[in-house]
Amino acid sequence: MKRKDTVKLISADEMEFVIDKDAAMVSQTIRNMLTSPGGFAETELGEVTFPEISAVILEKICQYFYWALQYSRGKETEFHIEPELTLELMMAANYLHT
Amino acid sequence: MSAQKKKAFQIEAFKHRVVVDPKYAEKTWKILEHAIHEIYNHNASGLSFEELYRNAYNMVLHKFGEKLYSGLVTTMTSHLKEISNSIEAAQGGLFLDELNRKWAEHNKALQMIRDILMYMDRTFIPNTHKTPVHELGLNLWRDVIIHSHAIQSRLQAILLENVRRERSGEVIDRGLMRSITKMLMDLGPSVYQDDFEKHFLEVSADFYRLESQEFIESCDCGEYLKKAERRLNEEIERVSHYLDTRSEVKITNVVETEMIESHIHRLVQMENSGLINMIVDEKYEDLGRMYCLFRRVSNGLVLIRDVMTSYIRDTGKQLLTDPERLKDPVDFVQHLLDLKDKYDKIITSAFRNDKTFQNALNSSFEYFINLNSRSPEFISLFVDDKLRKGLRGVTEEDVELLLDKVMMLFRYLQEKDVFEKYYKQHLAKRLLSGKSVSDDAERSLIVKLKTECGYQFTSKLEGMFTDMKTSQDTMQGFHASHGSDIGDGPMLSVQVLTTGSWPTQPITTCNLPAEILGICEKFRNYYLGTHTGRRLSWQTNMGTADLKATFGKGQKHELNVSTYQMCVLMLFNDADRLSYKEIEQVTEIPTSDLKRCLQSLACVKGKNVLRKEPMSKDIVDTDTFLFNDKYTSKFFKVKIGTVAAQRESEPENQETRQRVEEDRKPQIEAAIVRIMKARRVLDHNNIVAEVTKQLQSRFLPNPVVIKKRIESLIEREFLERDKGDRKLYRYLA
Repeated sequence: MKRKDTVKLISADEMEFVIDKDAAMVSQTIRNMLTSPGGFAETELGEVTFPEISAVILEKICQYFYWALQYSRGKETEFHIEPELTLELMMAANYLHT
Repeated sequence: MSAQKKKAFQIEAFKHRVVVDPKYAEKTWKILEHAIHEIYNHNASGLSFEELYRNAYNMVLHKFGEKLYSGLVTTMTSHLKEISNSIEAAQGGLFLDELNRKWAEHNKALQMIRDILMYMDRTFIPNTHKTPVHELGLNLWRDVIIHSHAIQSRLQAILLENVRRERSGEVIDRGLMRSITKMLMDLGPSVYQDDFEKHFLEVSADFYRLESQEFIESCDCGEYLKKAERRLNEEIERVSHYLDTRSEVKITNVVETEMIESHIHRLVQMENSGLINMIVDEKYEDLGRMYCLFRRVSNGLVLIRDVMTSYIRDTGKQLLTDPERLKDPVDFVQHLLDLKDKYDKIITSAFRNDKTFQNALNSSFEYFINLNSRSPEFISLFVDDKLRKGLRGVTEEDVELLLDKVMMLFRYLQEKDVFEKYYKQHLAKRLLSGKSVSDDAERSLIVKLKTECGYQFTSKLEGMFTDMKTSQDTMQGFHASHGSDIGDGPMLSVQVLTTGSWPTQPITTCNLPAEILGICEKFRNYYLGTHTGRRLSWQTNMGTADLKATFGKGQKHELNVSTYQMCVLMLFNDADRLSYKEIEQVTEIPTSDLKRCLQSLACVKGKNVLRKEPMSKDIVDTDTFLFNDKYTSKFFKVKIGTVAAQRESEPENQETRQRVEEDRKPQIEAAIVRIMKARRVLDHNNIVAEVTKQLQSRFLPNPVVIKKRIESLIEREFLERDKGDRKLYRYLA
């Protein structure tokens, strides 16, 4: 099931999100992580743990990744954010450099 | 619901803040320091990027960026010091290797560190204006290692040593050199330049100075140039392989200066192998090489051009003043053409058709062709020779080529009107004796002259052609109408020439024999019948006749003779023996012409249809002539004494010159009047300049002559001198 070009993002409460590498690369941080020349654990295993990001936020972030890809390909839709998530989402975004 | 959520927020924020205490910063830093150590020791695989990133993130977020940064600096510096020690320890050849390896490792580590500390790079550093991580890494490397005393000098020495070894022909590790230079370039352009390039250029200059000194003592010019070229190419290759491209220009400059520029004069003037010798021996490859190499140096080409020009002028001058050469004009002109061809070839094949060289060649040729005042005559003779016989059997293209070349020489002439005069004379003789090889070639040349000099130049020449054509038609008409009348009588063929077009000839007296007179009269009547109001006069000095003669033993021959000679020979139909005086009396041919014609009839071996008593070379008044019964010849048709165009003897030459001068006077006057009519008032110098400009396509007027003409015009009241200023002239209507 695990194809070559996917990564696994694991949230604080141990929820696993499997997304395409392209989507993950929207985040600069993740991109650096995966392309760093050093032999970090992440590159080897193809999975990244985020002990400070909850599952809800992480899920929203994955959705954002896909939406960003769509947007860049021309499909200009809206991305709806629930106001409760806003603060945490922004902090996570800052962290992930997205 | 929102209250609950808010509470959730609060709790989380609180959780974060609890962690913020000095220890936290210290702890976090320790983790990061440990990580950096591991990275440098190639142990990074066990680490979690995310964890490190998060730690760095938190530190910066909680305002511990400063600590992080300074910690980073210290750690890196200590590591680099270690590395520096290990590099210094490396022996001899391994030095570069070690340096290279450590540099590669450092780069890798640096990148990893940067990735981890990305957040700091993004936010903290711009805010505090510190150097970004990557740059920091490079700077530290530069300061600690490259500029460490021991390493710096050693590095330089080894690099330059390698280059020297390669120049002597050894093979060095180019890849290694490349990495090292790349490293220097990455560290900053000034590092590359100061640490390496500057010294490289200096050392190279010294090296080439020595080498060029050596070479120039031992090799000749061609060899030296080959070597210089080789070195130049080597350097370019070297740059492309392991030096910065911007060094290319600098190092080629060095080579050019040392090897070429400093020895340029010596090379060109080298005994037995310098520029002149190359030209003489037609060493196109060497010349081409010289051209390419000298082109890189300022004034290189100018030097070649100057030397070549002076050489051409000297050769030309020599050729023109060599009395041997001048004896045969056709040969002389052929030599000129060959010379031109040779230099053209040099310029096209070796000098890449450089326009400036072409111009220099043209001006040199112009200079020396006009040194000899007889050049126009010679060129005309050359053309004459070609059109008489030289072009027989030559293809049309080759004819065109040859005529074009002749036109080229013609352009160089300054005294084109002299050429015109001679050409007219020669053309007249060619047309009248029917000796022209190809009518097309003649016409083509006229067209070329017309394009070059304008209609006026060739109008008379064209008139001559028209006359020939008209005469043909007239003859046809004559024969058609009187054909039956002639019967057994002599066959007449007449060319009617318009006086203005043909070169003037003095009219001479000559009594034609009775047989001829009859038919001449018939023709005259016929012609005047169709063209009233014209005057015809027989030009007996230009005609030819074919006689059928039977000699002693019954041999029949056909003799081709001039009109004068025909008159003389016809006399012998009635008498076997005649004295000079009698001949003169009856024929009334002028003395000098008569003497010449008798000479060719009696004194020339193989053509002596007359016998002279006494048997001497010259004709005197007391000679007697007898019909030579015993005349024999291998051929049935015998040609006697046709006058071909010859090089004029001195007095004839003077005469023609004088006539040309005379002709020039009215032309100058016409030019002066034209100019004055337009300008009304003009001073002396300007008039001279204007006249020269107007007439330069035909000839170069002499200022003294112009002055004389002006004075003559003043006398004839075309111009007047200004009362106030003696140098000013005014036009009188």
